Amino acid sequence: MTRRVKGIVGGVILVILALYPWLFGIYFTNVIVTCAIFALFAVSYNLLLGYTGLFSFGHAMFFGAGGYATALALTHIEGCPLLVALLFGFLGAVALALLLSPIVARLAHSAFAMLHLAFSMLLYTLALKLRGITGGEDGIGGFPIPPFRIPGVVSVDMTDPLNFYYFAMAVLCGSLWVAWFLTKTPFGQIIVSVRDNDKRVDYMGFKVPQTKAIIYTLSCGFAGIAGSIYAMFQNLISAAALGIAQSFAPIVMTMVGGVISFFGPIWGAVIFAVIEELTTRYTERVQLVEGLILIIVILFFPGGFIHIVAIVKGKLLGFTRGKGAGLIKGKWFGKQAGKKPTEGDS
Amino acid sequence: MNILETKGLYHDFNRLEVLFDVNLKVKEGERHAIIGPNGAGKTTLFNVITGTYAPSRGAVFFKGEVVTGAKPHRMVRLGMGRSFQITSTFNRLTAFQNIRMGVLSRRGIRFNFFRKVDKMEDITRETDEILKRINLYGERNMPASALSYGKHRSLEISMALATDPDVVMLDEPTAGMSKDETRYAVELIRKLTEGKTAVIIEHDMDVVFSLADHITVLHLGTILASGPPDKIRKNKAVKDAYLGEMEG
Repeated sequence: MTRRVKGIVGGVILVILALYPWLFGIYFTNVIVTCAIFALFAVSYNLLLGYTGLFSFGHAMFFGAGGYATALALTHIEGCPLLVALLFGFLGAVALALLLSPIVARLAHSAFAMLHLAFSMLLYTLALKLRGITGGEDGIGGFPIPPFRIPGVVSVDMTDPLNFYYFAMAVLCGSLWVAWFLTKTPFGQIIVSVRDNDKRVDYMGFKVPQTKAIIYTLSCGFAGIAGSIYAMFQNLISAAALGIAQSFAPIVMTMVGGVISFFGPIWGAVIFAVIEELTTRYTERVQLVEGLILIIVILFFPGGFIHIVAIVKGKLLGFTRGKGAGLIKGKWFGKQAGKKPTEGDS
Repeated sequence: MNILETKGLYHDFNRLEVLFDVNLKVKEGERHAIIGPNGAGKTTLFNVITGTYAPSRGAVFFKGEVVTGAKPHRMVRLGMGRSFQITSTFNRLTAFQNIRMGVLSRRGIRFNFFRKVDKMEDITRETDEILKRINLYGERNMPASALSYGKHRSLEISMALATDPDVVMLDEPTAGMSKDETRYAVELIRKLTEGKTAVIIEHDMDVVFSLADHITVLHLGTILASGPPDKIRKNKAVKDAYLGEMEG
């Protein structure tokens, strides 16, 4: 796509998002906020999986840490401003990541994945047991949601779902943009090189563990922002946000959307939101449908939704150039069958 | 002056001695070939010098500084480049991106979060210049894994040179190449290492004698002989241990 087409598409999406509550009503507004939260969560995950080649089974830790930090700040700090609560969420996740990074930055592959599973289980148990702080199974709920206030300029009530929609979307889309930009910087180039061949990165003059620690911390920070917005949106955070199911959500979304592209996980989040919305009208067994779709995608479209789009584009437009062409010819996935599923160089 | 020197270098893998009192001296500006039969310890010597692992005893001097056990990224920053016997590129990145990593490294652009790398025009220009010099400009946007074997090897060698090192360590640059590819690679190496110091592990004697100013023969983990090509060719011990069987 040319720069101009990209600009137009971006503009149209922004206008649709701005008018969305007016077009579709408040119920679907809430659906899209949830979807955007998970989109950011999945994108933060893909910074590790698709970009750096790090497979984690415990990314919900950071989502939960963000949620709990925000909930605790709003519960215990009198008159805590909205943005400060959000900052607490971000810093909560970053602090946890900094704590773990000296250990995990030197790991990769299954050790990295399993250690995250262990740590996230530990945190899950702590969240259940430390009732005095976390509220145990009930979690922390009913905390006040402060207005968005710039002293002397504006004060917007955030208990109004419409206002919160705009706030949440601004934060989430802003974070997505920052994450996207990050992948375009020289640093973004170094992390994909680590994914491809970390040994050679060392021989090109870059420090690998430090690079991993930085992208890890940033990724977790984004997950923390997603968790923070989630806690404010639900006005509740409970141990479920730290659980295994929550850790698998971004994995599955990234797989279904497409690990190869920055936008894949966003598509994954959208697809799952749509499936859930449609399925719940007929049956409660949403996970059955989601599971089936995951199986089909893994078997037939290992590149995810982005892969399907590339095939369709190829058929319709006779695409022979660029990454789409590579996908169709199986260059990206054919050779990699059975290897760790890492892509992400859009 | 010796730009690279090892003194009494020993290395063992679980007590299996691979390097035994190696005293290598590489003069500035020369093309120094290291030859020897399989298992002589050539790649291990490279690994110890470039920081893959620390030697069990002995010292490595680079530009007069003790660098024993320094990590690879530190050696690169001090001005040492290395290529590998088994091609080791960033396979899903394009040829351009592979070379650009070296250019970024040399310019010290590491943790830069505020500019798009594609917008750094001087970096792009410099990378493109390197690609043209190594005849890979036509394959600029191809993933490294999709390059032909010869071109992939050229990329491998050029990545070591993209950081503009003072000393470049090439581990069997012509490994697995056809006769034509080898001839091309030798010319490429000659061109790219002009004015630099190069240490080259090589099996192909034609390559060694056409490229090297100085040859060190490694045998059973220790230096058997070291000198200019003519002397090495005539050396009795070398003939017995190595060259004889090759030429015979």
